[in-house]
Amino acid sequence: MSRLIASIHLALATVGGLIWLAEPREQEPTRVSWQNEVRPLLADKCLHCHGPDPATREADLRLDTPEGFFADLGGYQAVVAGDPEDSELLYRVTTDDERDRMPPAKHGEPLNEAEVDLLRRWIEQGAEWEAHWAYAPFAEPAVPATQHPVAHPIDAFVRAELELRGMQPNPPADPATQLRRLALDLTGLPPSPEQLDAWLADPSEEAWASQVDALLASPDFAVRWARPWLDAARYADSHGFTIDGGRSIWPWRDWVVDAIDADMPFDQFTIEQLAGDLLPNATRSQRLATGFHRNTQINQEGGAKDEENRVNAVLDRVNTTGAVWLGSTMSCAQCHTHKYDPITHTDYFQLYAFFNQTRDSGVSSDPSLLVARNDAEEEQAVAWEASRKERRAAVQAAHAAATPGWSIWQPKAWASNGPELRPEEDGAYRVVGQGAIYSTYVLQGVRAGALHALRLEALPARGLPGGGPGRGSNGNFVLQQIRVYARNAAEYEVGDGRTPENAEDSGWVRLPIERAMADFEQNTSGEGGRHYSIAQTLDDRPGWAIKPGFGEPHVAQFLLAQALPEGEWELRIELQQEHGDRHALGHFRMLLAEQEVELPEGEVVPELVDAAWADALRAHREHEGARPRLPMSLVLEAREVPRETRLFGRGSFLDPQQVVSPGFPASMNHFAPDAQPQNRLDLAKWLMDPRNALVHRVTVNRWWQQLFGTGLVETENDFGLRGAQPSHAALLDWLAQDYVASGYSRKHVVRQIVMSHTYRQANSTTAQQRERDPNNRWLARQRRLRLEGEALRDAALSVSGLLDARRGGGPVQPPQPDGVFAFTQSRKSWNASEGGDRFRRSIYTRIWRSSPFPFYAVFDAPAASATCTRRVRSNTPLQALTLANDAMVIEFATALGERLQQQDDPFAAAFPLVLTRPGSQAERQRLREHWQAVAEMRDEASAWTSLGRVLLNLDEFLTRP
Amino acid sequence: MIDPRRTSIEVAREAQRISRRTLLRRGLGLGSLAFLDLLRRDLPELGTAQDPIGPHFAPRAKRVIWLFMAGAPSQFELFEPKPTLQRLDGQVLPPSLSAGKRFAFIDGASAKLLGTQRKFAQHGETGTPMSELLPHTAKVVDDLCWLRALKGQEINHGPAKLFMNTGFGQFGRPSAGAWSVYGLGSEADDLPGFVVLTSGNRGPRGGAPLWGNGFLQTQFAGTPFRAAGDPVLNLRNPEGVGDSEQAEFFDAVGDLNRLAADQHADPETEARIAAYELAARMQTSTPELIDLSREPESVRKLYGVEDERPSFARNCLLARRLIERGSRFVQLYHTDWDHHGDPGNHLGKPLEARCREVDQASAALITDLKQRGLLDDTLVIWGGEFGRTPLGEVRNFIGRDHHVEAFTVWMAGGGTKPGASYGITDEIGFGAVDQGMDVHDFHATILHLLGFDHTRLTYRFQGRDFRLTDVHGRVIRDVVA
Repeated sequence: MSRLIASIHLALATVGGLIWLAEPREQEPTRVSWQNEVRPLLADKCLHCHGPDPATREADLRLDTPEGFFADLGGYQAVVAGDPEDSELLYRVTTDDERDRMPPAKHGEPLNEAEVDLLRRWIEQGAEWEAHWAYAPFAEPAVPATQHPVAHPIDAFVRAELELRGMQPNPPADPATQLRRLALDLTGLPPSPEQLDAWLADPSEEAWASQVDALLASPDFAVRWARPWLDAARYADSHGFTIDGGRSIWPWRDWVVDAIDADMPFDQFTIEQLAGDLLPNATRSQRLATGFHRNTQINQEGGAKDEENRVNAVLDRVNTTGAVWLGSTMSCAQCHTHKYDPITHTDYFQLYAFFNQTRDSGVSSDPSLLVARNDAEEEQAVAWEASRKERRAAVQAAHAAATPGWSIWQPKAWASNGPELRPEEDGAYRVVGQGAIYSTYVLQGVRAGALHALRLEALPARGLPGGGPGRGSNGNFVLQQIRVYARNAAEYEVGDGRTPENAEDSGWVRLPIERAMADFEQNTSGEGGRHYSIAQTLDDRPGWAIKPGFGEPHVAQFLLAQALPEGEWELRIELQQEHGDRHALGHFRMLLAEQEVELPEGEVVPELVDAAWADALRAHREHEGARPRLPMSLVLEAREVPRETRLFGRGSFLDPQQVVSPGFPASMNHFAPDAQPQNRLDLAKWLMDPRNALVHRVTVNRWWQQLFGTGLVETENDFGLRGAQPSHAALLDWLAQDYVASGYSRKHVVRQIVMSHTYRQANSTTAQQRERDPNNRWLARQRRLRLEGEALRDAALSVSGLLDARRGGGPVQPPQPDGVFAFTQSRKSWNASEGGDRFRRSIYTRIWRSSPFPFYAVFDAPAASATCTRRVRSNTPLQALTLANDAMVIEFATALGERLQQQDDPFAAAFPLVLTRPGSQAERQRLREHWQAVAEMRDEASAWTSLGRVLLNLDEFLTRP
Repeated sequence: MIDPRRTSIEVAREAQRISRRTLLRRGLGLGSLAFLDLLRRDLPELGTAQDPIGPHFAPRAKRVIWLFMAGAPSQFELFEPKPTLQRLDGQVLPPSLSAGKRFAFIDGASAKLLGTQRKFAQHGETGTPMSELLPHTAKVVDDLCWLRALKGQEINHGPAKLFMNTGFGQFGRPSAGAWSVYGLGSEADDLPGFVVLTSGNRGPRGGAPLWGNGFLQTQFAGTPFRAAGDPVLNLRNPEGVGDSEQAEFFDAVGDLNRLAADQHADPETEARIAAYELAARMQTSTPELIDLSREPESVRKLYGVEDERPSFARNCLLARRLIERGSRFVQLYHTDWDHHGDPGNHLGKPLEARCREVDQASAALITDLKQRGLLDDTLVIWGGEFGRTPLGEVRNFIGRDHHVEAFTVWMAGGGTKPGASYGITDEIGFGAVDQGMDVHDFHATILHLLGFDHTRLTYRFQGRDFRLTDVHGRVIRDVVA
């Protein structure tokens, strides 16, 4: 049968007059393309079971690498180059034997004749294989020659493809349309009638170039082009999830606008955002830039686990980095090796390891950077931060000096039956989350060496009631009992879940404590209370408390009756705190003495808290309280104590498996195979390596998408095997290399594109064009694009004359309909801004994740929950209702009406002002009729408003032409 | 304007575009209007960029009403009496059951088992056990189909609600309602196909993503009607604008759009014109829809709609009116079932209050749909995002923690087996011992009832075919009549 089809192809080819019937690329091809034909077929039909994922791989056969095709399978090969009959692959896809037939019935349809024929011809032609186009190094950029000569390289690439298909590009759009398109694309604002007149008076090439340069230099360019970047970064002014409390990260948003305005090279733009804090002598601006990855959500819900939140944030950072820079869907590889793309489960966690080393925890806003708005503030911030560093160091030094012979113990496993213990870098635990009435904290882990005594440090902390150290309403705690257990680590499975309570044969031996002492005891027996002595922690009496010594450190030491000898022990320390009402430790640290340390006599020993240490702590705390009152912005900060990264089985953080180190995905790393990256800075530099063709293709493709609605690679977010092929692969490579050569300049690339005929051509289509190329893949025309909600509002602000062009600063609140917050857990008030803030550009509108500004949401603004690299452009009745009736639009309409009223001929002036073109006789007439109708029904003032209202609702106003 | 190459569907759409108002102004009678309504209903919703997929086989359920009990009601106080749990009241969980389990607040190793706090009796011909707290539901038990060992995986409310709605514990996936409208389209030409109604003293945790379109187009997202005031934002004319001015406004926009469309011939402009027509119709249709005073007193009484205050009962009645008018998927959220044991939030009076708020109307919805012959092809679902632990949670009052191992949901109508029960849990109701099913199976079964093979209702996004059940799910045929 396949032979028959081949001969029909041949017949068609020989009857030259008939050939136009076939799509040009279906003409008898000289060579089968691995890239465009064979690889996608194998990806679709075979790679689920014979792809990169070892977990699902059947018969140990891979069909995505030459090693796989040509491997000796025991006397035969899947593919024998040049010999289809000897290739097992071909037998398997054609046989009638159900047992051998591939793909198996349960996995999908058998291959059709054409597909089989394709494989046959590919093998006949030598089974040539090449790396996936997106992961391959750059091709040499050769601008093609075209029959119709064109000047601009972009037009040459596009024209060449059109000529191949016998297609013609559209003529240039009329000048007014070109200007409106350019202004909306570059600044998000329509051109003024004056700009239009000047351009129409001289629509020369030189004038176009100066229009382009002026718009690129305009501060509005950065406001327009920052928006897609904020989408990609999932920027919002709140934490997200159900509580959705406010957050301060708008200074980072301003950083993005400023960087784009200055045309900061994209390599620097990337490096500062991913790893600005790791740059040598990092500036405040570079540290601020790292807010990019602090745009992750925080679940503030009562039962939320701190560590789970933190892990989710790190996972999101990996996925977002993968989508934004690598154009790849990483999240599949979180749970298993990617079924189709060669990203392994290990690759994923090697990327995870880069991001797993930051100081931010799951549920807090730390660390945040003080943001200075002028030199004096800058000085203030720098001085405060420097002295904070000093004070931290002083605390550490004083503590070390005061505790010779003691070592901090922060075991791998910790637990509590209520609140969560969050391990801190200084070896302490901060207790977070909602508490049960009864709490027992458990520290458990393996430790080599002897054990003589224990030292419990109850530490004050900001954020605890009364400054801590307890979680009780005044800062108190009641430690009822301390229990110390040990068992031989070699004899029992570590962390087997057996506790001294729940299993008799658990092996735990309780170590008796001979003597306990503390720096201070609560004795309120004189006031009708009790004496909460440290000795009571050794029996069933009420326990140890510290009232009124709040906001200060307290120390207890426990001497074992018999020292635990040298050995490898699993140790378990239980701190029982069942006094109720959250009387439990809020911040504490455990130290162990391996050798005999000198313990003072007596039960109450004030000297256990070293005076110098206490002073240093107090000084540090006071300094924290004296933080300059400046805006803050969330940032990344590297941990000093590295955190171990383990691969998670099935992606679950509850199933940590082998340790992994930072590394680059092997399949995407053709240029630095021997790299041994350490940190985020290495990752950022690798991404921006001039040879990292994948990343540069992804970047310029997104900018192309911004100007044409669709990228040269339509699946801008999936450059993998199952993604779309580039429509113009050579053009994509040329653009990407031109961009690298320009010094990673965004404005250079935008300028290149908008100077081309391809960009400037008309958007009109004929039915024939649409039939021939429905998705405009070959770019024989421009496209009309519905404006994003933010751009639409900005355009309306602009034509109505209300726009307040001030840049930067905290979020503002334009009016929105009542009751928008009815669906959020914590109801918020939305007090509409007054004055100019009501009319600021839309990028400055406050974004609550749980209840986004309804005007933008209805026009498909993303919810800022995950990275968004391409917006949907829907067309719904809810958009019509919003534009028709929303009070905010009526406010714009009134201003627009007033503006038109002052014109000599308002009905004529309306069109250039709002739509950047003259209106036709019929259009002006219809507008006038409307004005008259409303004037008759109500009054003239209402008629002017209604005139503006109609104009702001026109399809043409909502659309970039 | 007439182009001979246009398909018949395009011509029919042209007919759809003619608004009722325009027709009336052209002097057409009500008979022809009704005819045009029929013609419209046979077609996908106007102004949509994408046609529905259509069912893979004949649907048993043509529409869904999902009564979502946000916060997760306790199955042990409502549906699942467990004599052994009662006997073991006060004892700790054996380590064989607690090992490796995660709870949001309690410690699995030391918390004590808690027997049911409520009296149970058997009801109906099926002898289904039912708590004293749900006397009305007890009267319709024989119409209900029980899932008694449903298993979730997310232990916190936000992620669990996302999981229950979208099959995924994080944001970004389309909800079951969005998939349904994507698959079947809407039967309503003047109302959204997927509507969300809420009651209780705040919205459900998770917000808009619970009914989101994910990567599907926004037209498939749930439209959240508000509990009070305008059910859809901006449905009222702007202040001071009368209906005739509003009509002239829509006419002027339409006329000018048509004049411009003649220039650039963009099909998207045609879609925009259609969207404005539907918007105008929604302004007319929605006030009639929400005017519950049009319902007879007997029906209002049946549901327990006593006054004009927002309530679950009003929403149930509104849900029936929505599906009668062609909405495909209506989801109701009633909040505050999270009974941990805090003041105002425990298994005593707060649970009683929640039950009083939903019991009568839930049962009334079944009765009313049945009387109208709508229950046969309307699927009703009742349940939360997970269940509650057989262990008590020691706070100031008696409560239970979040429990994902096994919980109870009931369904009715839409091709489910009346009176059937699927899922058997162990003696303390901790987990399934037989007939277990997870949330993906639940979704697969809902889609099956709607006429879809859940593995084939897919959408290609970022190079992958996504579906509601991800890579999981099996249809539980035992519950299909």
